[in-house]
Amino acid sequence: MIRLEQVSKSYPHRDEPALKRVSLAIPPGQFVYLTGPSGAGKTTLLRLLYGAELPTAGRVLVGGVDLGRLSPGKLPLLRRRLGLVFQDFRLLPSRSVFENVALSLEVAGVERRQIEHRVSEVLEQVKLKDMASAPADTLSGGEQQRVALARALAPGPDLILADEPTGNLDPDNALAMMRLLVGDYVGGATVLVATHDPTLLSLVRGARLVHLERGLLEEME
Amino acid sequence: MIAVGRGPLGRAWRQMGEDIWLQAVAVSTLCVALAIMGTYLTLCLNLGAAASRLLTGPTLLVVLTPEAGPDRGPVLARELSRLPGVATASYVGRDEALVRFRRRLGPQASLLDDLEVNPLPNGVELVLAPGAPAGPELAAFIKNRAGVAEVVSGRPWLKRLERAVSAGGDLAVALGILLFLGVVLVTSNTVRLAVHARRRQLELMALVGASPGYMRGPYLVEGMLQGLMAALLASLLLWVLFSLLSAPAALPLGLRLGQVLAFPPLLPLCLAVLAVAATLLGGFLGVGRSLRPREML
Repeated sequence: MIRLEQVSKSYPHRDEPALKRVSLAIPPGQFVYLTGPSGAGKTTLLRLLYGAELPTAGRVLVGGVDLGRLSPGKLPLLRRRLGLVFQDFRLLPSRSVFENVALSLEVAGVERRQIEHRVSEVLEQVKLKDMASAPADTLSGGEQQRVALARALAPGPDLILADEPTGNLDPDNALAMMRLLVGDYVGGATVLVATHDPTLLSLVRGARLVHLERGLLEEME
Repeated sequence: MIAVGRGPLGRAWRQMGEDIWLQAVAVSTLCVALAIMGTYLTLCLNLGAAASRLLTGPTLLVVLTPEAGPDRGPVLARELSRLPGVATASYVGRDEALVRFRRRLGPQASLLDDLEVNPLPNGVELVLAPGAPAGPELAAFIKNRAGVAEVVSGRPWLKRLERAVSAGGDLAVALGILLFLGVVLVTSNTVRLAVHARRRQLELMALVGASPGYMRGPYLVEGMLQGLMAALLASLLLWVLFSLLSAPAALPLGLRLGQVLAFPPLLPLCLAVLAVAATLLGGFLGVGRSLRPREML
């Protein structure tokens, strides 16, 4: 599903590269934790995977597509196959829960009736169906992150990329969030969760663990 | 009711409703720009029409000899009316000429009361077609006709006026294009402001796979709606302004202020078309690179 080949990423005003010759292969359906301290390059790696950045060297392939060769016009099509979850939720605050979740289907041109059906389904999964019409900015942090996850799950993505998804949540909500990410709801999608929180790692049995430190990737047991 | 699956119009309407102040700023800025454009168009149209009226006035007077018989005048008028460049040719008998002269003298017309005989000759008045050469060739040609004493140019400054109007027309078009580009610039900056104000929303759309076209659509529609509203407001503003300013004051060349500031009936339509064209162009320029899926994140 994901293949990184000798990927390096440098920024003009930083002495040290954010990523140094990183290679990684993740098969479909695998759950992977990407750990490492703040500034290790986790977010950079995720940004490369959803096409917000291009590598300075090496190749990034997602679902067999080389992102370095992907034309800007095709990038939105790739992103529709991804589910993205961020630490800061990234919701439209004045829009309702339903509208926030529907957004990922609307942009893909899904029909209205199908949108209504699918949004109701994922809101049921994240236990927010009763709050469908509530504005997003009236929800608690945990609820907002569940809305963000519902939005990521709604199109039935092949790959879910979560960047510190529990960073703004208390332990109970963090646990609930991780349960949603490993449950049946993700529908066999590949999941890559970037986190610097070691307490999360025990929550998913059999998860693969890769560690980033100063731009270097290391496989963990 | 939760709304999903809206088209660009619905999404534009919705995003307009979410930020009324931004709309007010955009519409009022556009309204001022269109009002300036509308004033300019009005002046161009009305002055152009006035110049056209002046240029199509009587420009040549053919004076007949005293020996020419009473039928010669109407016959000559018919002949001359068939000449190229002549719009109309009408016979003016000496009695009619005296009546006109009296009228032109106005309060001083009583000066003519002491005349024992009418000193004015019979003549033919020529009205030349707009743009037709009123040069000496035509005058020389007419002067050689039977019964013609002389040919008098009615208004020698008309040629100069015609040249000035022609040069003014070119200048007016150039100025009009500059003004239009100004409106496009205002629109593009307004759209850029709107894009900046909704940066987070657009980033989010790009993250979930919205194409640049999907994101651009509502901005173009929003710009057009703002343009139409601004065109309506600018038309109303100019109508009120011109009505207030249209005093019956006289201007040079026999023009009246009311004529120059007459509100053209088609002005609202012109402004609406200009606004839509400018907002579409300005929208494309304003959104520009900012909605590229890679650069905006």
